[in-house]
This record gives sequence, C-alpha cells and structure tokens, in this order.
Amino acid sequence: MKSFRAILIKEFRHIFRDMRTLVLILTMPIVLVVLFGYTIKNEISNTKIAVLDYSNDSYSKLYIEKMTASTYFQIVKVLKSENEIEQAFQQGLIHMAVVIPRNFEENIIRRKQSEIQMIIDASNINIATTLDSYGKQITASFQKEINQQLSNIQPFDVSIKMQYNPSLESAYMFIPGNIALIMIIVTALMTSITLSREKETGSWRMLAITPVRQLTMVVAKIIPYMIISLICTVIVIVLGIFMFKMPMHGSIALLSLVCVLFMFTACSLGVLISVYTKTQQVAMILCMLGLFLPALLLSGFIFPIENMPQVIQIISHIIPTKWFIIALKDIMIKGAGLITVWLPLSILSVMTLALMGLSLNKLISKNV
Amino acid sequence: MEYSIIVEHLTKKFGNFTSVDNISFSVKKGEIFGLLGANGAGKTTTIRMLCGLLIPTSGTMNVAGYDVFTQGKEIRKHIGYMSQKFSLYEDLSVIENLELFGTIYKLKRDILHKRILQIIARLQMRNYATSKVEALPLGQKQKLAFATALIHKPEVVFLDEPTSGVDPLVRRDFWNMIYESASEGVTIVVTTHYMDEAEYCNRLCFMANGKVEIIGNPTDLKNNYKVENMNEVFHKISHR
Repeated sequence: MKSFRAILIKEFRHIFRDMRTLVLILTMPIVLVVLFGYTIKNEISNTKIAVLDYSNDSYSKLYIEKMTASTYFQIVKVLKSENEIEQAFQQGLIHMAVVIPRNFEENIIRRKQSEIQMIIDASNINIATTLDSYGKQITASFQKEINQQLSNIQPFDVSIKMQYNPSLESAYMFIPGNIALIMIIVTALMTSITLSREKETGSWRMLAITPVRQLTMVVAKIIPYMIISLICTVIVIVLGIFMFKMPMHGSIALLSLVCVLFMFTACSLGVLISVYTKTQQVAMILCMLGLFLPALLLSGFIFPIENMPQVIQIISHIIPTKWFIIALKDIMIKGAGLITVWLPLSILSVMTLALMGLSLNKLISKNV
Repeated sequence: MEYSIIVEHLTKKFGNFTSVDNISFSVKKGEIFGLLGANGAGKTTTIRMLCGLLIPTSGTMNVAGYDVFTQGKEIRKHIGYMSQKFSLYEDLSVIENLELFGTIYKLKRDILHKRILQIIARLQMRNYATSKVEALPLGQKQKLAFATALIHKPEVVFLDEPTSGVDPLVRRDFWNMIYESASEGVTIVVTTHYMDEAEYCNRLCFMANGKVEIIGNPTDLKNNYKVENMNEVFHKISHR
C-alpha cells in the first residue's frame, strides 16, 4: 500500500511537472466540442442560388417567393439564359440553380404537367443531398397550396414528426461521439504512452526488480489518467448540454455508470497495447490505427453503420466505442433506463473483462 | 567460505539462439566480480536472469541465500540493480527519486531520511538535492543511480555497464564508491567494456558466445597468458 501511494504520487508529479501536456489534455475536450459543434452541421441556411424564370408569370413568382421565404435559400442572381448557369457555377457564385419552364401558370391552370429543374452542385455530396431534400420540400408545399386553391380538395396529407431530435440538431450526434473520442485519447492513449515510456527509459526494469508487484505499479500509474479522463468527460457533457442544447433525459447515475465502464474499457486497451510494445512511438501508432480511427469511422459516430457494406457492419460489432455511443444516445436522448441499455452495457462489460484479463495475464507472467 | 551467488548449469535460449550456454560460477560475499566479454557474449542476459527479470531455460541460481526461481519475491528485497541506461526519473528531483525507491523498499521514514542525507553528502549533491535529475551531469546521474540501487542496503548489487559514456575522472570516483560498498560486505557483480576497470575487480569471468571462457583474478590471468595488462588478456582470449 505504501509503495502504491509512492508510485501514485510520482505519477501525479510527472503530470504536474509537464504543465504543457496537462493544459493540452484539458483544453482538448473544449476544442473538440467547439470544432465539431460548428463544423458538422446538417442544417444548411442561406445557400446562394440562381433563378432562371422563363415564364415570369404570377405563379412562377409565387414559387420563387416561397423559395426565398425559407431561410434555406438566398437568390443572388437572376439569369436570362441557360448558358449563364454553368458560368455562375464556375464563378463559385451559387450552389444551386432553379429553372422554371415556359407557360408555368398556363400549364397549372390547364392541369398540364410542367417540370421545374433544380441543378445542384454535387461536389459536396452531403450538402447536395440536403439541398435536394429542401428543394423538394418547398416544391411539395407549393404544390399543396396550389391544389387547395384550384380544387379545394386534398385527398391526403403526410405529416412528419422527427421523434427524439425534432429540430435535427447535430449535437445529438457529435456529443456522444466526442465523449468516446476523449475517453480513447486521454485514457487509452495516455495510459499506453506513460507505460511504454517507462519501458523505453528502462525505469520499468528498475521498478521490476523491487518487491513492488507489476500490477500495483500499473494500477497506480493509470489512476491519475482515469481521473483526468473523467474530468474531460464532464467538460464535454456540460458544454454539450449548455452550449449545444444536447438533451439529458435519462438518469445521471446510469450515464455515469456507462462512462466509468467505458473508461475501464479504454484503460484496458491502453494497458494491453503497452504491454505488447516497447516504445512510445509504436504504442502511439497502434492507438491511432487500432483505437482512434475505428472509434471515429466504425462506431456510427459520423458515418451511419447501416449504410456500410455487410462485412464492415459485422466488424463494427467488435468496436467497443460503437456500443458506448449507442448506450449514451439511448440514455441522453431517449431517456432510456437500464432495461433498454442492458445489451450495449453487457457487451461492453464482457469486452472490458476480456481485455483486462488479457493484459493482466501478460502482466503477471512478468515477461513484459 | 560464504557464497552470495551460486550459478549452476544456467542456460537461456531465445528461440533457436542460445544466449547463455550452460554456465556455472560462484561469487563470494563482499567480492567484486567482473563479467567481461564482447557485445552479445551473454553478460546482460546473465545479469537479468540473476535479478529475476528473465526466466532461464534451465539451470539453478542461488542469490543471497535464496533460490531465484522459487523465492523470487524474497530475493527482490536483497538485491539492487543498475543498468547502462540511466533509468531514474529525469523530471523528479534527486530527493524525490531517492524517496520513491526508499518507500517502495518499505524503509522506515526516519531511516530513509537519514540515508538520503548520507547519500547527498557522499555524492556532494547538496546544491542539486531539490533540482530535477535532468539537470545533473551524466557522471553524477550514474553515481546517483548507484546510490539508489543501494538505498535498501542490499546484499548483492548488479551493475550492468555502469560507467559507459562517463569520463575517466568520474569513473575513478565511481569505482571508489564500489570499493566502499564492497568493504561494507556488499557483493558486487559488474559488467564492463573497459579493460582498465577489469583490473579493479577481485575476480573476473570472461564470457564468449554464451559460454564461460575462463575465471580468475586479474594477476593470475595476466601471469597465465604472460602479458602486461588486461587488454592483452582480452585479445588472447577472444582470438583463441
């Protein structure tokens, strides 16, 4: 116990002597949340568009008015001919062009079909899909209005309610992901770096010939990083709730339980990596390729897993981060209780126990 | 005769490579025992096995009266170790390093403090006591590492090339420290590259390709090969 405390104190000294790293670690959650908060946006507003109106009648004007009445679009150019469309795109003035055909009003009144054309800059697919759906939405509501005016009959109407995330806030998606990333970086990465540093400098061997047990040494060394990672997690959650309106419908106790559980998962991963590597550099690369990238790409954090090929979907099941994010979203957004999140929770527990077992096995065998 | 170390038929294989090949030797209490040989002769592997850092493929080792294999835990309280690589914590101060290792060896507070004061006085580090170890010159660092390895008054100390890269003046001083400890009854096993240092040892063990070539005291070895100094002994043995 005395040696446990001595190593713990030593580790805290290392951390506080290296103020620059400590400040870096503690500002990371803030930077991460703010970056993701302002860069990942699903909603698009004031997209610059151009209009080419061949009819120039009251209905075409009404349609254009509808488009600009929304905050989605902003007309920056009124075109006179088809040739000008390409030019406007090339100059980077617009992201979308709307072409209204001749005889728009006449066709509507005569119940003849006419075709509005929307030309969208698809060099960014995400923006293009969003613009496409906004354009269709506005057109549909325009159509509905006209139908009502002309016939007063409305056979049926579709009403859509976005359950759990009514205003489609992107915070709902990135806050849980950020918590996971922070845990991976601070706990797994820092743990494996600090342990492999001892190996690299030879101090691990110095300690290994003392009566202190390897397990005691490792546990005492990683506790400070556990504490720091929990502080970082709190920072992300608080920022998410107060700055980006992330909801917190579930119980705080359950949320804490899931976070602490994942902290142990990340810790075991860090220890496991460090017992099998000899230098800090290798440990760092392994953390990046083996933990960080899968956590970013295969966890459903940014890219939906449902759209991935079958093989990758299967692989994603073994990424702990995926289950962590599922549990976080269920608890925070849906207010789910233990009954709902038991599956991700038990999968995470089993994974953590297995990882701990693997690294303990290696630690006790002493050939580290 | 009291022996601190008894090694019998010790072998260590890494896959197909035999690093240490069936070696046997014993070291008396209070003796300075030098392990010599070219790089890859098996010196470091032997020392690591004696410290319990590596598990041997076969053979028995008895250190400070304990069997290394079955009483590994007990042994750790009675041995010290210092490697060629400086491995104290650079960002901790001199006192903090000594305190850390003293606490790990479960020394009582007052005893530990007395020893720390002694060490600082002996190493003339009064001005450095609270500064970070990274600020010390290399020679001082190595002496501090040696003092740290001795903080719990072990019966046996293993020094793996303790003076590599250190200038001759500091080496001299370092060897004075080794003599002081030996005169207090500490058994010292030391590996070195420097043949002038070999002369300082009570007994020498030459290793080549994992085997023991010859064991003897420096004077006998020189007479044996009819040469002036250890350098020539080394040449004769390695070119046989």
